[in-house]
Amino acid sequence: MRKVFAIARKEFSSCFHSWLGVMMSVLVLLVSGVFFVILVLNYAKISMNPQQYGLSNFSGINQTQFIFGSFFINISIMLLFLVPILTMRSFAEEKRGETLELMFTYPLSDFEIVAGKQLGIVWFFEILLLPLLGYIVIYRWIGGEIDWGPVLLGYLGFWLLGNAYLAAGVFISSLTKSPMVSAIGTFSLLLVFWIFDWVEGISSGVWAHIFTELSPLAHYRNFTIGILDVQDLVYFGFFFFYFLFLTLRSIETRNWKS
Amino acid sequence: MNNSHSDVLIKFEKVSKKYGAFHALRDVSFEVKAGEIVGFLGPNGAGKTTAMRIISGFFPPTSGRVLIRGIDIAKHPHKAKRALGYLPETVSLYPDMKVIEYLRFVAKLKGVPGHELTDHVRGKMSFCGLLGVGHRLIGRLSKGYRQRVGLAQALMADPSVLILDEPTTGLDPTQIKEIRELVHALGQNRAVILSTHILPEVSTLCSRVMMINQGQILASGTVKELASCLKDREAIHLRLKDRRDQDHALKLLGAMPGVENLNCAEEVKGETFISFETSPEEDLRPLITKLFVEQGISLVEIQRQQLSLEDIFLGLLKDGKLGRRF
Ligand SMILES: Nc1ncnc2c1ncn2[C@@H]1O[C@H](COP(=O)(O)OP(=O)(O)O)[C@@H](O)[C@H]1O
Ligand SMILES: [Mg+2]
Repeated sequence: MRKVFAIARKEFSSCFHSWLGVMMSVLVLLVSGVFFVILVLNYAKISMNPQQYGLSNFSGINQTQFIFGSFFINISIMLLFLVPILTMRSFAEEKRGETLELMFTYPLSDFEIVAGKQLGIVWFFEILLLPLLGYIVIYRWIGGEIDWGPVLLGYLGFWLLGNAYLAAGVFISSLTKSPMVSAIGTFSLLLVFWIFDWVEGISSGVWAHIFTELSPLAHYRNFTIGILDVQDLVYFGFFFFYFLFLTLRSIETRNWKS
Repeated sequence: MNNSHSDVLIKFEKVSKKYGAFHALRDVSFEVKAGEIVGFLGPNGAGKTTAMRIISGFFPPTSGRVLIRGIDIAKHPHKAKRALGYLPETVSLYPDMKVIEYLRFVAKLKGVPGHELTDHVRGKMSFCGLLGVGHRLIGRLSKGYRQRVGLAQALMADPSVLILDEPTTGLDPTQIKEIRELVHALGQNRAVILSTHILPEVSTLCSRVMMINQGQILASGTVKELASCLKDREAIHLRLKDRRDQDHALKLLGAMPGVENLNCAEEVKGETFISFETSPEEDLRPLITKLFVEQGISLVEIQRQQLSLEDIFLGLLKDGKLGRRF
């Protein structure tokens, strides 16, 4: 476990050392801030004059749901760009620089290497999440009323979705020697997952059902509307560990065609 | 572990390695004992790096067995790797880490206990002359210093087996001398294998040499053994003024007893160079001179020369067999 933490710490601080770390933090703050402000302003506008928006009785709208529910859905798009950039260097860079080769000569199991890398990136992602908690404070400060359940579930869902995507990104990174290819590959994969969510809307029957079950966003949406379902937890757990397992296999196949 | 062989730290048993259909190593077997510095000598592409990667557990051999301190690396990689220090051919380190940060990281991965970590890392840094650059970024170091960092990481956790892949390539003469001194000091109680394609390196540093080409060991012996082989070999070089005499001369020499590895290289201005190997017991020069004069061959120069390690090596590369020398 000590070795896993050592690798995780190295991975974590290498995220910070690069200009990427700083850029990402700024980007996350900026984008989420813009989303948040727009939603609050929108809410204020509607609440001033509900009839104009076809709402006879404004009390029917849940304030937390209107602002935070939409907020979480919106910032999940951010992951599409954030995750490829956070994960692209993890294995690709070490394969290119041949530093991974050296790591394989240490008394380490492949699992320790993969787990350490994944953990380090997850830590960095969590640090990026911290400022998002600030929006609760701001919201309270401007006089909003908070329904704690859905808000906290929203954060949990975002954390789970982010972790699942990160595991997929690390796997893609383990397939290539080029961080650029890794980033593009991860982005494409996440895009495909995102498209899963549309299938539900344009088709029906068995296919719609299957794609909904497979779509990370469909499971994530439950969290944002304040529903905690064991199925969703299992789904994200499975998603995460399945990609972790794939990464492990991809690292093991360095034995090539021997 | 078998007690009578407990000082055998590295053992290759009929190891072969294929990349696809390409045979990089064929049936290689050897042993290295504690206190030995063994030099892998061979041209680029000979299979040195492949052999070293197999020892270091980077990938398994296609067939055969590798034992480190009697432990099969395929069966117990974790245990075997604890005894291992590896310096790769291209010392690739994390450029954006500080030297001390990186070495502490390696020490942890190699399982140096927490309370010893600081002293241990300091000790290795001092041995490799890195104390002055501990807080510099690795990416900003000169090649020589990066090589020392590479050596320091290999030495973490005091491995009894050290694998150094071309440790002096790309360094300037002063740096080469320093690295050689470090390696020499390390060889006292460990098994060290280093690879090189530079011959003098082997004679100054190694207690034993293995000549490798095309995935096979062509020759193996201590530097002393090689030197004694050299003593009873010598080369004779001839120069002919007229190249039309060449065929005739070759025929005569070929029929002469004690002439081996007859060689002919054409030179500028129609002159021909012929060389061959022979034993120093009988000086063939008077005989050849007399014969050539009788036959009217335009001999203008005849010279005797001790064979060097280089000559033997090149000869081996050419015919790929050991001859009777080893
Ligand atoms: N990963 C690989 N895939 C295919 N061929 C390889 C690979 N690595 C090395 N080779 C080939 O194996 C041979 C031996 O290489 P290597 O062990 O690196 O030689 P050396 O270190 O003696 O220069 C070379 O011909 C090289 O082209
Ligand atoms: Mg090599």
